[in-house]
Amino acid sequence: MKARTVFGVLIVAVLLFPLYWMLNASLQPSGALLRPDPAFFPVDGTLDGYRKALSSQGPHLFSSVVVALGTVFVSLAIAAPASYALAQLRVRGGPVLVFVLLIVQMIPGIVMANALYTVFSNLGLIDNYLGLVLADSTATIPFAILLLRAFMISVPKELTEASRVDGAGYWRTFRSIILPVSRNALVTAGLFSFLFAWADFLFAVTLTTGQSFEPITVGIYRFVGNQSADWNGIMATAVLAAVPAAVLLVVAQRYVVAGLTSGAVKD
Amino acid sequence: MTLVAPATVTAPPRSGRKPRRDNRFAAWLFLLPALAYVGVFFGYPLAANLVMSTQDYTVKSFYTGEAPFVGFDNYAAVFDNPLFSTAVLNTALFTAGSLVFQFGIGLALAVFFSGRFLGSALLRSLLLLPWLLPLVVSGAVWRWMFDQDHGVLNAALRFVGLDAVPWLSSTGWALPAVILTNIWIGIPFNLVILHGGLRAIPASLYEAASLDGAGAWQRFRHITWPLLRPVTGIVLMLGLVYTIKVFDVIMVVTGGGPANATQTLTTWSYRLSFQDFAFGQGAAVGNVLILVATVFGLLYLRSARATLAEAAA
Amino acid sequence: MSLPRRALILAASAALLTACSPSPAPQASTDAGAPAATSITELDYYADEQGSAAWQKILDTCATQTGIKVQRQTVPTAQMLPKVLQGASSKTLPDLLFTDNPTLQQVAATGALTPLDGYGIATDGYYPSIVKAGTYQDKVYGVAPGVNGLALIYNKDLLTAAGVAPPKTWDELKAAAAKLTKDGKYGLAFSAIPSEEGTWQFLPFFWSNGAELSQLDSAQSVKALQFVTDLVNSGSASKSVVTWNQNDVADQFVGGTAAMMVNGSWNLARLDEQKSLHYGVVPIPVPQAGGKPVVALGGEVGTVPVTSGPTQQAAGKVLSCILSEPTMLEWSKAHAYIPSKTAAATKFGAEQPAMQAFVDEVGSARSRTAELGEKYPKVSQALADAIQAALTGKQPADQALKAAQQASGS
Repeated sequence: MKARTVFGVLIVAVLLFPLYWMLNASLQPSGALLRPDPAFFPVDGTLDGYRKALSSQGPHLFSSVVVALGTVFVSLAIAAPASYALAQLRVRGGPVLVFVLLIVQMIPGIVMANALYTVFSNLGLIDNYLGLVLADSTATIPFAILLLRAFMISVPKELTEASRVDGAGYWRTFRSIILPVSRNALVTAGLFSFLFAWADFLFAVTLTTGQSFEPITVGIYRFVGNQSADWNGIMATAVLAAVPAAVLLVVAQRYVVAGLTSGAVKD
Repeated sequence: MTLVAPATVTAPPRSGRKPRRDNRFAAWLFLLPALAYVGVFFGYPLAANLVMSTQDYTVKSFYTGEAPFVGFDNYAAVFDNPLFSTAVLNTALFTAGSLVFQFGIGLALAVFFSGRFLGSALLRSLLLLPWLLPLVVSGAVWRWMFDQDHGVLNAALRFVGLDAVPWLSSTGWALPAVILTNIWIGIPFNLVILHGGLRAIPASLYEAASLDGAGAWQRFRHITWPLLRPVTGIVLMLGLVYTIKVFDVIMVVTGGGPANATQTLTTWSYRLSFQDFAFGQGAAVGNVLILVATVFGLLYLRSARATLAEAAA
Repeated sequence: MSLPRRALILAASAALLTACSPSPAPQASTDAGAPAATSITELDYYADEQGSAAWQKILDTCATQTGIKVQRQTVPTAQMLPKVLQGASSKTLPDLLFTDNPTLQQVAATGALTPLDGYGIATDGYYPSIVKAGTYQDKVYGVAPGVNGLALIYNKDLLTAAGVAPPKTWDELKAAAAKLTKDGKYGLAFSAIPSEEGTWQFLPFFWSNGAELSQLDSAQSVKALQFVTDLVNSGSASKSVVTWNQNDVADQFVGGTAAMMVNGSWNLARLDEQKSLHYGVVPIPVPQAGGKPVVALGGEVGTVPVTSGPTQQAAGKVLSCILSEPTMLEWSKAHAYIPSKTAAATKFGAEQPAMQAFVDEVGSARSRTAELGEKYPKVSQALADAIQAALTGKQPADQALKAAQQASGS
């Protein structure tokens, strides 16, 4: 048991080394890690980056959380029923839709951004939370449908058919059988929807003007000019931005585990 | 595709045809929001990209909205370009290299972390952290680590007595370097989804197999792998789509260089559009990518259908 | 929030209607009689903290002077062109736009810009090259308040220790770089990334040797590329130059791993912050003694897109203010640029000795788009590719440039 934990820690340490390097950079002057002997520990550290990041990035962080949570909500609300239909109800033309969902994800980001800008500026959705959530959902909805469908296919048909026999409508079957059983998959899809929206830069920079709000991926450019880059501030912002999101992730993972134990009773 | 699933046959006979029609109607209702969303948000960009690829679309066209129709000229120009074959080869290597290792390592870690041991859940969540970083940040960190003279990777190589590697400054190493970066970014995705798939496999199966004397490998081979197939399929398919269209990682780490050694179809498409201002050609390259995804999508559907048939049997 | 949103939706439906009707694009007329609007929008890419603050001060000054409110939007540099094209296609361009000078002709080619003479903005007294950069089909569409260029910045302590004088010619540069390369330090750092930035860094060598962009594979061009390639092959400059942008180059210089660097005036503020770093600036070395360095002209030009009579007039007024001599000097001081008017620049150089080398060079600097116009980006890309091919050893300089000439000609 102990050996596995040690090995696990080792794996995580290796895989997260770049993160440590970022943390290290956030505490050292710009370019410090490119010197002949880069300091492995920020001994002569500076908190300048954090000072600057804290003073200007707070609102951006908030915007990012709102957009990411909004995207999770919209994606799951649209994707879950669709996945149920595709996985359990066997619609004619279902495979075609699955196919279309795969294809549309290949449309280059900049093409999507250009098209959405034109439409959104006509609809007054520029600088609008709902607008950005809907745009970010272009990445998450196809993803969530495909993922949830793959999980829901393995929900035993007997389970849903039995509920139908009991006289439950499709909606009730969906709500009281499919959703609880798929809780695990829903959290996974939600998790990645959050991460996709959190990391989005292109839609954010295209569909906001900075007049009312600005997500953190755009805000970080306060430290990147056309002719300068304040790495200290950039890395500090990245560290600060990762903290609240990481807490959310850990909480979500706990939820998965909780969902598992309660789901396990049914087996 | 046969519509009558065994389960429906066992259902008590109500009236002959009603349930199925009922079923179809309900299904469409459940699908409606998704259909509407996909139609609205993808229909226009997809059509616009198709039309643009048949036009001589210039910066002026953005303002006037007018662009002369040129048929397949853009496609011809793209195929004639000496960079086309470079970009195709790089895209293939990048995609294959990333997918194989992301999936392989992701699966191994998923299996490892699905065992319950002290801290397994926490460690697994930690592995998602790289996804919280803006790509401009993780890309820059990797660029520093790859630095030929003072990068930490080469310092490590020298420490164990190996030669320093010109990661980003040689045409031979740059592609492996960006693939490495992309593998690192992709592992959490594979790990988490495959882990979810593993969780869905009933533990009783493993217990039964253990009783029958099956070893770890046999359990993986005969239980995990076949039962994981729907999830494996979708992870690989999504991984393929996401990897082919990777843009930011390459732009931040190498910018497509040195000497086009990391130029993929995606970065080239962007370059044709926004550096050469040949928007029609950029769109044409984008459509080539869509075509590639189409082919793989069809393959995926075929295999998925086979899985479905198996599951139904 | 509800009221402005309602207004937005109303405006949006109006925009939708106009977008749907096949009405011709608004004419580029500048009706001087129209009353000026009281508020305009402005777009620029001075995104970083210091640059952004400096530019905001300029905008504030001019807002006060003209009584016109300026609503500013800043985008990251790489997003500028996509943003402008999106604005052009949905007729939502800003009223005032500041963009990198080599892209001006591309934007002007869309027909979305208005000539500046309609706002009483004259172009006499400016460096001719900046006016050329802002000219499209014989009309001036954009003028910059400040310009910049590249020079050779050197570490005084390292040069003194090695007994090397700041180089003036290519031979001296080569010798100095070789002598300064030791103890894990390189003699010279520059940027050769595969984009416009790489081309911009190479052009001083290219042009100073008499090469022309219309003939990338000329003997002069090959010699210039060979010279730069030799610096890398001999180890006087790191092989990593193909991955360094100009920020990275400055990082190397500040970190003490490069004794000299090719870089622009905007770095001086940062270098001044390093108390232990003593630096000097000389013009880019030339092929032969007595020659004059020819660098590429940098800087952002202000331009007025087609919007409506009143907003265009207002934008013109604000632009006039930004181009006035006091504002120009204020901007140049705050951002380490050189005023784009000859007289102001002379005064500026006298006040700021560290900037003198840059002021000297700007006089003979060339606009990148003067000869090629809209064709420049393609040629620039081909040239950047050739530089990378030669520096990585993929192709010899002459072959790389031959391929570039073919690619740019098609």
